[in-house]
Amino acid sequence: MARQDTAGSVALDRHGTGRRFRVTRRRRDALMLAAPLVVFLGLWLGFPFLTNLVYSVSEVNFETLRAPSFIGLDNYARAIQDSAFWAAMGFSLRFAVAATLAQVLLGLVIALALRPLLVRHKALMALILLPLMISPALIGVMYRLILNEFVGVVPQYLAMVGLYPNLLGPDWVFATVVAIEVLQWTPFAILLLFTALQNIPTELYDAARVDGAGPWQCFWRITLPLLVPGLAITAFVRFIDSFRVFDHIFVLTGGGPGSLTTSVSIYIYRSFFQQQQLGSAVATSMVLLVLSLAALYASMRLMLRKGEA
Amino acid sequence: MRTRIRTLALTAGATVALAAGAAQADVTLLFWPGPESEAMQQVIDAFNEGPGAEAGFEVDQLLFSRQGYFDKQIADLAAGSTEFDLSLVTTYTLGRYAPFLLPIDDYLPDDVGDLYAPVALDSLSFDGSLYGVPTDISAHFAFYRSDLMDELLANPDWQARYAEIAEAHLGEAMAPVPPAAWTWDDYVATTLFFTQALNPDSPTRFGAALQLKNLIFNIMIWQGTMVSHGGDWMTADGEVTVDTAAAARGLEIFQTIIDAGATPPGSINYEFGEANQAFGTGQSATMLQWNAAYNIVNDPEQMPVTAGNIGVAPMPAGPEGNRTHTHSLGIGLNAASENADQAGQFLAYLASEEAMRIYGAAGGTPPMPRVLADMADERPEFPLVGEFVDQYGFVVTGGTAATAVPMYEVLAETFSSVWGGQNTIEAALADAQTRIEELMAQ
Repeated sequence: MARQDTAGSVALDRHGTGRRFRVTRRRRDALMLAAPLVVFLGLWLGFPFLTNLVYSVSEVNFETLRAPSFIGLDNYARAIQDSAFWAAMGFSLRFAVAATLAQVLLGLVIALALRPLLVRHKALMALILLPLMISPALIGVMYRLILNEFVGVVPQYLAMVGLYPNLLGPDWVFATVVAIEVLQWTPFAILLLFTALQNIPTELYDAARVDGAGPWQCFWRITLPLLVPGLAITAFVRFIDSFRVFDHIFVLTGGGPGSLTTSVSIYIYRSFFQQQQLGSAVATSMVLLVLSLAALYASMRLMLRKGEA
Repeated sequence: MRTRIRTLALTAGATVALAAGAAQADVTLLFWPGPESEAMQQVIDAFNEGPGAEAGFEVDQLLFSRQGYFDKQIADLAAGSTEFDLSLVTTYTLGRYAPFLLPIDDYLPDDVGDLYAPVALDSLSFDGSLYGVPTDISAHFAFYRSDLMDELLANPDWQARYAEIAEAHLGEAMAPVPPAAWTWDDYVATTLFFTQALNPDSPTRFGAALQLKNLIFNIMIWQGTMVSHGGDWMTADGEVTVDTAAAARGLEIFQTIIDAGATPPGSINYEFGEANQAFGTGQSATMLQWNAAYNIVNDPEQMPVTAGNIGVAPMPAGPEGNRTHTHSLGIGLNAASENADQAGQFLAYLASEEAMRIYGAAGGTPPMPRVLADMADERPEFPLVGEFVDQYGFVVTGGTAATAVPMYEVLAETFSSVWGGQNTIEAALADAQTRIEELMAQ
């Protein structure tokens, strides 16, 4: 039953259970406005999600896409017991941590250093962001040339100082693919951190200077503490993105040598398209989704706690 | 106002008519853009003007991008798409596609077996039926610098040094032999001789440019070593035979070259392009490579160092002689096609010598030895392709099965780990054997 009270809000009584909640007109309007998007997302995300859920508990290949046979949790068991999956998880984790740390640190240093310039010449930011506009797969192709030991620029410069590392060999390949990720995506960190820096009130610095604080004290006592939410968001976004790395590594190394650079995304791609283990690949994706949600929840809680503090 | 409405109506009508005209082709061929589809267009044009016009229908191409082409194609075939009647098939993906394709034996003329190299028809056959008209054949050559090999075969000082190096690294004082007579031991000895780390007087830094990236196409090159030693993926009964002495010997051959530093350190991530660069820039004296590389490394504009000094030999011989992996691209018939009879008529034309001559002249590599031999003036390597495919070509047992690509994937990953120094030959072969047996069991 619903009745309208004098304040224009609607009180709903759910079948006389005694649980009541009040929906204001504003809230109702907001729900109605959001409904099309929610329905759209429900259809476009919900349907694939349900399909994946079904496939993840089924024996399925390209021939049986329309008639998968239920096999329970076998695909999940297979994914969890597969040492290659955990090796890929290990690589993705190490890659994401290393790339995120480097991007955030480098992004912070560059944002701080270029801040005065960026404030005066805003168009400069567009130049800094250029690497983001290149497809990661194309970046992979570019670096295949740049790192080529005979015609590549990087090995030629290294050779000038007497260094001949095999940058895509087992000893260096991890550092190389991380460096490529960092070079492409640090501008994104610069953008977020520069925006965060701009939100710090200048009065705080003025007051600190009046009290005799130097640049280092200003950085440690004002900039860094107030930048923590921005740093956390930057790190979080970059971690998620780096964790699911695929393109440039696949183009550069194909996940090798051996399986040294096989990320989770490459592992899933191979399982799905090349090994045709559709159910297993989808189950792996679902495991990854659960782990990502757990990480997301933990990170959000941490960020909210910091925000409250 | 009335004039404006009439103009709008006419424009709309014309647009609809044009759109309908563009989509009016009776038979649609799904293909990828690039030299193959450009060559195919010449064949299609000839068909549309000749037999197609007589029969009253046309063929047109629908192009998907090359990136992830096969993944998109399998998804469309599996979904029962009727948007195309014909599509690209390959040896190594045939088994995956076969459930969604029609056998085409009944559509082709009886003399098709006389026109094609037998291995080309085998390479697109599955469970005893032909599923594609072979249009392009790929095989492997042992490329070498003819100027350097001529010098080696004529210069006594070089020969003495060759013998010394062979004795030091291979345990036997060997004499150089012409590339056409190379065994694998001769090939390894030659690569060692042309490596500056072992022979400071070598004109090239490296003797070889192996392709060792974790990539299925590199395994196709490597498996010539295994098959020439009597190995295969499996027996006719489906018993997996990867962990054998023949495969171990094949891996040892590559490992000897890697350990001696006779291939560039970056080889671990080489594929087609990088190997061409190493060989074409004069860094390496030899290269085991796809026949398609000939036009690249022998092109004075692209590779001035090597152009004109390119020699081509069969892949070196093992106890079973010279053997080269062979695979084909071809055109198959979509099982969901609503124009199967017309598509079949085009396939019959495609399998003719006339069509393959047009295709070859437009840049393709048709697997008809007679056509290839007749094109020696324009494409000097073509007669050799025909000869090598005919005499030395093989398709591994299971090479057209649905599990072919997954098996190649396993081999690429495990062998790449050997070449990268993370695994031993014995452990990698045992691992590959187990994983392939698991794949077969699934």
